[in-house]
Amino acid sequence: MNLSAIKRALWAYHINTGSCNGCDIEILATLTPRYDVERFGIMLVGSPRHADVLLVTGPVARQMAPRLKRVYEQTPDPKVVLQVGSCGMEGGVFYESYNLVGPVDQIIPVDVYVPGCPPRPEAIIEAVAKAWVKLEKAEQVA
Amino acid sequence: MSILGLGYSPWSPIFWLLAFVVVIIMVYFFRRRGRKKYKKDTAQTKVFLCGEEVPEAKQRHIKAHNVYWGFFETMKEYYDANIKAHTGIINDYIIWFLVLIAISAIILFIVGIV
Repeated sequence: MNLSAIKRALWAYHINTGSCNGCDIEILATLTPRYDVERFGIMLVGSPRHADVLLVTGPVARQMAPRLKRVYEQTPDPKVVLQVGSCGMEGGVFYESYNLVGPVDQIIPVDVYVPGCPPRPEAIIEAVAKAWVKLEKAEQVA
Repeated sequence: MSILGLGYSPWSPIFWLLAFVVVIIMVYFFRRRGRKKYKKDTAQTKVFLCGEEVPEAKQRHIKAHNVYWGFFETMKEYYDANIKAHTGIINDYIIWFLVLIAISAIILFIVGIV
């Protein structure tokens, strides 16, 4: 596919909704010299206002649900949501915990799922590439 | 002497004017590079506070009273006693005044000054 609609690299905002930190460490691993996604311009930003991609980790604790929703609403369009880790899909090790309101796709729409506990950095990078394609299509439609 | 009698010193208004123009151009340049596809009058234009709900402007401001929190906390017992005494009713203050006058008079009478 010709990736030409987006004239810039993707910036991602990472939000932890109650993760054990495993997925967060793997996300950081993609930025280390071994994987180094910043060479493609993909980087983490400190505000969803600058982001194209939302990286969501964790199974969504009750306190985090309105915050996740607010962050999603504050991200400019077009945007894609990457759900990183198994616990955001079906609870994972937190399955049936009393304080969960997840999975993530019951709170906000998810575009790309990255299963794994935690997923490998290669899987996260591949998901970002898929998100990029999806964003290209959205940009072309817009 | 040259520019407006101030020479080429950093205080020359011409230099300040030029610096101002350069800053304005830079601000305009960076602002133009901002994202234009955001939706106006939605959450996308609201202040981002790590996902928290942003309180009203009046509640966001830190009051000067907060700066003295440690002082008030340390002197809590002293303030509690004094605030209770300060009822704001003039009759109470008159009673305090009369009681203190009476105590002072008794002390002065005992020590033999009066």
